[in-house]
Amino acid sequence: MAQLTADRRVLRADLHGDRIRAASGSMVAFEGDIDFKSAGMGAGGGMRAALKRAVAGESLSLMDCTGHGRAYLAKDAMDVLVVDLAGDTLTAESQHVLAHTDGLRLDVQFAGLRGMTSGQGLATTTVTGQGQVALVSEGPIMALEVAPGQDLVVDPDAYVGCRGQLQMGLVSGVSWKSLVGEGTGEPFSLRFSGHGLVLVQSAER
Amino acid sequence: MQTWNPATLPADDNVNPHVFCVALSGEWFMAKGAMLAYYGDVRFEAVTAYSSVASWVAARFSSPVYVQDWVVAAGHGKVLLGDRGFDLNAYDLDDGNLTIKANNLLAFDQRLELKQSIVPGFVTLLGTGKFIASSNGPVIFVEPPFRADPDALLGWADCPSPSVHHDTEWMSASMAGMLQGAMGRASGEERQYDFTGQGTVLLQSSEIAREDPAVLRLIESQTQLLTTSQAGTLGQRLVARAQQQQH
Amino acid sequence: MPFETVNSKVVRARVSPQAPVLARRGAMLGYSGRVGFRPVRGQGGGMAGFLGAAVSGETNPMMATEGQGEVLYGYRGLHVTVLELDGSAPLVCEADRLLAHDAGLQTSVQFLGSGGVRAAVGGAMTGQGLFTTNVHGRGAVALLSHGGAFPLQVAGTSIGVDPQAYVGHVGQLQVDVAARMGLRDAVGRGSGEAFQLRISGSGTVYVQASEQKF
Repeated sequence: MAQLTADRRVLRADLHGDRIRAASGSMVAFEGDIDFKSAGMGAGGGMRAALKRAVAGESLSLMDCTGHGRAYLAKDAMDVLVVDLAGDTLTAESQHVLAHTDGLRLDVQFAGLRGMTSGQGLATTTVTGQGQVALVSEGPIMALEVAPGQDLVVDPDAYVGCRGQLQMGLVSGVSWKSLVGEGTGEPFSLRFSGHGLVLVQSAER
Repeated sequence: MQTWNPATLPADDNVNPHVFCVALSGEWFMAKGAMLAYYGDVRFEAVTAYSSVASWVAARFSSPVYVQDWVVAAGHGKVLLGDRGFDLNAYDLDDGNLTIKANNLLAFDQRLELKQSIVPGFVTLLGTGKFIASSNGPVIFVEPPFRADPDALLGWADCPSPSVHHDTEWMSASMAGMLQGAMGRASGEERQYDFTGQGTVLLQSSEIAREDPAVLRLIESQTQLLTTSQAGTLGQRLVARAQQQQH
Repeated sequence: MPFETVNSKVVRARVSPQAPVLARRGAMLGYSGRVGFRPVRGQGGGMAGFLGAAVSGETNPMMATEGQGEVLYGYRGLHVTVLELDGSAPLVCEADRLLAHDAGLQTSVQFLGSGGVRAAVGGAMTGQGLFTTNVHGRGAVALLSHGGAFPLQVAGTSIGVDPQAYVGHVGQLQVDVAARMGLRDAVGRGSGEAFQLRISGSGTVYVQASEQKF
């Protein structure tokens, strides 16, 4: 069973004749006998996948890594976090997905509210199933709890992903606009309510 | 995975080396863009707008060059601050003063007073209170006598303002012309800030310069020192430079 | 120990008349004591070395730090790795990875790969530096990397490395540049062609967690 291990800014992927998927261009070194092959969008084939590819652009181009050995994966010296999924769903901004094990299903979605307003790219990725997914972030990721009566407001540039039963709304208004200034940053912030975890990085993109 | 909520987040302390959590109860000054996320009931108002309802604001924030890059955060909650993934540190002043690179100052509590430093790109904080600043890598503290590269200088406390030192050997090697081609561009070693006296100098690894909008405002305000003909000459030189850099 | 690690991005060097230091220009963060800086040519190998540098484009503006005192070196917030060379094998790296080293160490330019390989890769490695710098002798070297360099041990086997993530190596190692079908997806985003370095023999290879050059 392929195993993903985070070591600060590098992800070690140990392969035992099986397969993982990783962001294209993320291999920095490997030991053993490993093949790397383009896997396209990670959204299956056919028209649906083609449409998603058009929407998502280059934001989540994946490659298959197969064979025996250890691959070292990394992206722009960003911190790596491995999340274990046990049948539940993780939502992440596509550019933060570094790799995932074979048992998981990736789906690229129209991001709805956030994607439409942020100009950050329209691709949000949902990861579902049993296995491991590795995320990259500027500085370590903080997992912030959201519960009823305990809403969280996040700068869209610092938002990485979320997990749980969450609703996301936009906060604009005078207060937020004065915070980000004219012409810089996002004119909106994200307000999360419900029950779950929001993943936040320590830098603006 | 370690998780955080408003109760478990630290109060006025680092969450990790790159994120600081302010336990807001009242008002803080914050640089635009420094806020990553918050819990609670928090409002952000431009410093200029807030000063019309709270007259003390103008007395605390006395730098017209920087005022538009700052807001007042008011209310109750936990506010998380970050800056480019840099290291963040809190500094406690006890009836003291510390001068810091304006780009690296993220927040300060409303008891402190901010003034523009004589050294361009730096601001001085005075009084008793806490402020948060970022650095590229951990901060290095050294004592005078010390000479610092301007790009690596983060700030200084207690000691007199620095003077500029030019390296004699470097200048003479440069003037000798044997390396004129290679020496055409300044690399920084020929010029340092010279600190003397008692105090502490703060350094960081030099960073790729980030455009500081306040520097433009600062220099523009200083062109009032020029006569009309001098201002015209400066204008021509700037136009020539801009044209040269386009090619 | 001429280089003391201050933190992940800064080193401190004790400079004395017996132990001057060569460093990349623009890397001095600050100093105390009676210390002077003098610009020097990038390669220490005399005329041949300089010619090599001119041909290869591996010109690396360096400076000598002389006198008596303590100097801090760092560069643009990049991570710094200090290596102690015992003289048994040179350090091979790209010249612009050199933050600072003992002035007693010798540097020379080497063309990485032989004619056959060169023909195979054509001009495609341009900008990636087929020419490398060899650092010979006993002493300390401070290397720059984006995000830190991690060591990979090679012992009688071979490993593959993304050229953009390659920092340097020490030991009895053979480096081959190989184009490989399919690798286009694995390495060198936007480079149009895919290459990997196949490194075999025995020694240590230093790799950074990023494809960014600086």
